[in-house]
Amino acid sequence: MHLTREEEEILAGEKGESRRKAMELVVALGKIYGADGLVDITSAHLSGASYKTIGDGGLKYLDDMAKGGAAVSVPSTLNPIGMDRKRWKEMHITPHFAEKQLEIIDLYGKMGVRTTCSCTPYLGDNIPSAGDHVAWAESSALSFVNSYIGAKTNREGGPGALASAILGKTANYGLHIDGNRKPTVIIDAETDGSVFSYSMLGQAAGMAIGSGIPYFRGIHPTVDDAKTMSAAMAASGAVALYHVEDVTPEAGNFDISGLEMIYIGEKELENAYSRLNTAEDVQLIALGCPHLSHKEMRDIASFLKGKKKKNRDTEIWFCTSAKVREDCPEEVKIMEEFGLVLADTCMVVAPIEGVFKRTGTNSAKAGNYLPTLCSQEVMCRDISGLMDAVI
Amino acid sequence: MIKGRAISSGKAEGKVLKLDSMFSFLGGVNASTGDLNAGKGNIAGKVFVFPGGKGSTVGSFVMYDLMVHGKAPAAIINRLAETIVTTGAVISSIPMADGIDTDLLNDGDYVAVDGDKGTVEIKGTKLVRVVSSAVLMDGKVLILQRPDNAKSFPGRKSMVAGKIEAGETPEAAAAREIAEETRISVSKPDMCLPPVYVREGDTVWEVYPFLFRVREADPVLNSENTGFEWVSPDRIADDNLMVPLTYRVINEMLRKLK
Repeated sequence: MHLTREEEEILAGEKGESRRKAMELVVALGKIYGADGLVDITSAHLSGASYKTIGDGGLKYLDDMAKGGAAVSVPSTLNPIGMDRKRWKEMHITPHFAEKQLEIIDLYGKMGVRTTCSCTPYLGDNIPSAGDHVAWAESSALSFVNSYIGAKTNREGGPGALASAILGKTANYGLHIDGNRKPTVIIDAETDGSVFSYSMLGQAAGMAIGSGIPYFRGIHPTVDDAKTMSAAMAASGAVALYHVEDVTPEAGNFDISGLEMIYIGEKELENAYSRLNTAEDVQLIALGCPHLSHKEMRDIASFLKGKKKKNRDTEIWFCTSAKVREDCPEEVKIMEEFGLVLADTCMVVAPIEGVFKRTGTNSAKAGNYLPTLCSQEVMCRDISGLMDAVI
Repeated sequence: MIKGRAISSGKAEGKVLKLDSMFSFLGGVNASTGDLNAGKGNIAGKVFVFPGGKGSTVGSFVMYDLMVHGKAPAAIINRLAETIVTTGAVISSIPMADGIDTDLLNDGDYVAVDGDKGTVEIKGTKLVRVVSSAVLMDGKVLILQRPDNAKSFPGRKSMVAGKIEAGETPEAAAAREIAEETRISVSKPDMCLPPVYVREGDTVWEVYPFLFRVREADPVLNSENTGFEWVSPDRIADDNLMVPLTYRVINEMLRKLK
């Protein structure tokens, strides 16, 4: 692996201990994946934000990093945390959890990370451009920026992304190299055009191919469609990049002749859908995985407007970013008649396992993780299907 | 010194605790005690040897938590490092090397790991440098029968092998051994590999593999071996009498030759 003189100096500790540790990690990861050197990045997005997932070990790590003077050198955003930082009591969060969680965001803040705590930074305060090299964690977000925007990132882990953010560089391998961004399989797909069908398409595609780089034909995903499809494909499989004919920016760059072809239609979507459904009724309906966009907030509010909540026992969470919540006061007012509009968090990273046993979601990503990370049985339907029982 | 790859810096020594399957720190170990699940021992202060990491990325933070509690392993040795354990080792300042054949290490061995150089030293063993050459004719490899009283691997079958003498290059040793043991003369090797390591009790053989293509060779043995045959590589794969790694290195050299 080739390092410049300046990079060698950082590795030798001449620019301080926290930069030395960051360089050691980026170099070690580069080495195991065969990187030839480092590449400058324009932004980072960090995972490892919820106290529920990183625990005391992660908290101590961040504390030591911040005390050591670590600071990011490129615009960096943070993933959702385990609670809404103001409304945590309404989420049944314990004071102990809240205290630890607030410490974690403080520590990220001290290192210069924007603690907007969203999994959709690409809709707001961290928008890469096509061709940018970036270091992003959060599988759904990194797949979106790779695929829909045409930025370049590998699947970073939390500490690796933080190390890259500190250095403003990451190891040059994998999806940073154009030759590795070629499609590996063609997927001819048919959906009914709804956001929910795109979530199921992502689920079915991830199940069918595992990893690899699919090239889709026959679909025209909008931003919201691509958001949920990216998330689903990264959860049911390990897809970090896909192309869509006539839609995504790099799709026209490749010769796809001779690639294996897969068909995903009604039957495959139905199969994906039935795999995710294990619950007949739910105690919590949680929407916003990934975080709700402005348009989704408007759609949900117009769906709910004029309706009444009949079943008061079922809680409803609408998860979004603080910015979108702030931008949509009218919608929030309608939605709050039915449940909580929460920022900073979601049903997967919040410690809901102590409170609920059965959760409804319209997200295939949440459908994959709720059973394993939150011990939930799951009902996976589109929004009107989920709301049937409560309105 | 067994040469692997440097992953996480620092040097440490300790007793080996070895697992034979892929390991997840999340759920695999108690971070405040260092106890492995299912009574598999305690990793605090040990040289923790396992093939590689698996499972949740939170495993990196579990390693940090072990370090905070003073229960981290002294060092880590993997066959092949991946992101989770690499990340955990670097952030927790645990020296780590990979590229090491974990079959070389046994529970209770006392081992020194150099995470800056990527080397591992098994205390109480001696490292002996040897060559082992595949002499290839018409697609078949010359295999020698070792006598029952041979000092190493008695009664087994091997390629043309022998010690590298002081001041000798591995390549020169390979040609010399072939001449001594078979009277076949060879010039430049057609292929070679970085050394592989084979353990036999207190001896670790550092084996430099070579491949020489020959034509119309007619081996004449000296007293070091009791017989020979020309064997096709796929038959070598199934022969339990072959010394360890024989098929693997032959296969890799033939693959690279193509």
